[in-house]
Amino acid sequence: MKKFLTLILFVSLLLTTACGNDSEPGKLRAMLGSNVVSLDTAKATDSASFEVVADCIDGLLQLDKDGKTIPAIAESYDVSPDGKTYTFHLRDAKWSNGDDVTADDFVFAWRRHCQTSDKYAYIMGSTVACIKNADAVVKGADPTTLGVTAPNPKTLVVELDAPVSFFPSLMVFPTFYPINEKFYNSLEDGMYGTTPENFLSNGAFVLTSYVPGSASIQMQKNFSYWDAANVTLEKLQYQVVSSSDNALTAYRNKSLDFVTINGNQIEYVKKDPELSKDLKIISTGLLSYVTFNQDSKNHHAGALSNVNMRLAISNSIDRESLVTNYIMNGARATYTAIPLDFAPNAKTGKFFAEDQKQFAEYVGFNPDKAKEYLARAKSELGKNDFDFTMIYANDAGDMVVKVVQAIKAQVEENLPGVKLNLQPMTKAEYLDKVTTDSYDMAVTNWAPDYDDPMTFFTLWTTEGSEIAEHWSNAEYDKIIADCTTGSLAANYDARWKALYDAEKILLENAVIAPLYTNANANLISENVSGIEFHTVAIDHVYKHTIVK
Amino acid sequence: MTKYILRRILLALVTLFLIVFALFVLIRIMPGNPFPVERMTAEMIALKRAELGLDEPILVQFANYLSLLMSGSFGNGTSLYNGAPIKPILLACMENSFKIGVMSILIGTVAGMTLGITAALHRGKFLDGFCTVVSILGVCVPSYVFMIFLQYFFSFKIPFFPYFFDASRFLFSSIMPSLSLSLFTIATISRFTRNEMVEVMNSDYVKLAESKGLYGFELLRKHVLRNALIPVVTVIAPLVVDLMTGAMVIEKIYGINGMGKLMVDAIAGDGIDYNYVLALGILFSAMYILVMLLLDILYGILDPRIRIAKEN
Repeated sequence: MKKFLTLILFVSLLLTTACGNDSEPGKLRAMLGSNVVSLDTAKATDSASFEVVADCIDGLLQLDKDGKTIPAIAESYDVSPDGKTYTFHLRDAKWSNGDDVTADDFVFAWRRHCQTSDKYAYIMGSTVACIKNADAVVKGADPTTLGVTAPNPKTLVVELDAPVSFFPSLMVFPTFYPINEKFYNSLEDGMYGTTPENFLSNGAFVLTSYVPGSASIQMQKNFSYWDAANVTLEKLQYQVVSSSDNALTAYRNKSLDFVTINGNQIEYVKKDPELSKDLKIISTGLLSYVTFNQDSKNHHAGALSNVNMRLAISNSIDRESLVTNYIMNGARATYTAIPLDFAPNAKTGKFFAEDQKQFAEYVGFNPDKAKEYLARAKSELGKNDFDFTMIYANDAGDMVVKVVQAIKAQVEENLPGVKLNLQPMTKAEYLDKVTTDSYDMAVTNWAPDYDDPMTFFTLWTTEGSEIAEHWSNAEYDKIIADCTTGSLAANYDARWKALYDAEKILLENAVIAPLYTNANANLISENVSGIEFHTVAIDHVYKHTIVK
Repeated sequence: MTKYILRRILLALVTLFLIVFALFVLIRIMPGNPFPVERMTAEMIALKRAELGLDEPILVQFANYLSLLMSGSFGNGTSLYNGAPIKPILLACMENSFKIGVMSILIGTVAGMTLGITAALHRGKFLDGFCTVVSILGVCVPSYVFMIFLQYFFSFKIPFFPYFFDASRFLFSSIMPSLSLSLFTIATISRFTRNEMVEVMNSDYVKLAESKGLYGFELLRKHVLRNALIPVVTVIAPLVVDLMTGAMVIEKIYGINGMGKLMVDAIAGDGIDYNYVLALGILFSAMYILVMLLLDILYGILDPRIRIAKEN
């Protein structure tokens, strides 16, 4: 009997001390869709890493809640009349070890990024930021020749090869964030950002618990942050959740305050009166499209190098049906090469892809026209049956599987004689195939790196992209070159107009078949407000989030 | 005896070397790059490959890797965690997987043996049937399904255990994963124990002992269990390695930073981290080989017949 009583006592003790799932004021528990790969801004390549880095480090500028650039470490900046020299004036800010944030921290970080020649080193170079000598430094030239200097600790001067109208918006991208040189050099090689002790903040939060690969990351408010007065959140906890089923259950369980779910779950959520109040659909700026391999040597004797064949396929896809019947997460059908709700014109404020009908002649769902194109393609190619393989990376879960199956059904139904095979693979294998030519068609997802249509347009130039679609058009290349470093770079309106001309060339040739602009279906607890969502660079900013 | 042990050790080393070579070549044949190539030009890719030494002939690369291994290092990552040295990260993951593995082995062995003994003692009766059902379930239901089941009932329906792994409450939050992982062990061990015990209980010497007046627990302890458990130990050995090396799916869904999750992360990213995959592969193989070597040597000591047969 005594033993039994002890047992009951023990169990009840356990029960009372067991996990309290209720949220606590001032602490946000957010979901992270994937593992953080690196907190070193030169090595980070994924949105999860960028988001966590941006919580802790401020760059020169930051985004406000509407996506406009506003001052961060740089209190202000001047641009030279020719648009080629930017002078940033830094405010008094501290690293979390007490050191001052200086212009040299930026110089050190930028030089280092060029030298590492990693994925995002390209952004410094002549296709994007056009920083003087960046291309040469990436290829091994002396890093001190890079066009970034610190005449004094509070002034940073950046020299460009060409006027880049969106240069300020690049400054919010983590690749341009500073690193404290002295601190970095005091660490063993490769150890920067691997523990809270090996990482410095100058931003809203400091890391309190992190191990590479851990599914839980914890931070707390940085009281020495220059803008600490406007940060109300005391604690920020991330939980890496790889399945959306798990995310939804954790949210219902009140283990998390903010999660992203998938399209299938939306129906369920909408039926639940409590959950449906928390549902918020946010456009992400990620464009999904089909890339065609136009290499005439490809094993189908170059059938896809025939423009009518590509137009036939593009016109046989019912994008509205894809988003409403298969994806269902708020994604929207897109008929332009630039995603929706992205890259607003600086003068009119209109998004670049606002007019979805302007290329209706080439992109749309039109089975009759598709059949006509197919008939033309058949006579030009002298062949009646076609067998294509479409590859896709299956890392994005079951959504992409449903999309490709729907495309296969639509193409095969609307284009008699065309057979579409589907081939799933890991992201690494997919990237290998598209860069080495071993594919016919590929479902590509591209998220913008900076707030300008050029982040997409450079993909399709002859030199520009590693995705080999084997399409080359001198006129298109010229427009893109003119708009990047050439004659149009300094003329905002003319450049903007020329970009539409480039888009027309792209779509009348059906280089790609745009599918949809993705969205995230989020559940946000009612006591949470002020999460900022962005389509560019950093998905979520929690600096001004309030948890009651 | 010394000659026998030395030969076993030599054989184990040769096997390990062959495995390292095979893994090394296979990972390089696999499609995909060891770093994310998206947004990189061909020129940048070539630079990066040269930096990682991937432009050298494969045998030279292998020799370099071997010398790295000899110096007690696994090198640096190629795409994960800023290319930092692998060893500390690997050790941290090993610690988590080991702890949970040990817990599940303990649970599995104790529960499995109890079930097996109970079933054998009640052969043909209800309890025997019950134990059979449990062991069939244990073999058929993958551990992660059981994990999801536990997670649903004991952290969602009844919010008792944390919904995600919480490293600050290690013991408490490792109960569910350890239980799920132990299911297969429980099933395997209980079946083995039951069958061995039934066999031993039917043997002449047990019958003789019984006829001489020994009965109950005394008989069980002195004559049945001792003989029945020798083969069971053989089954436990490889299970130990299995459990220690982490469980990919369970670690992933519950968010445990263990070796299984590390393996998935190393393969499933935008680039395959060659060195992590290699390090983990070598580690898994080395652990198997070590356990098998120890077993072999133990057999040799316990049973001279095995030693002699293998020596010839």
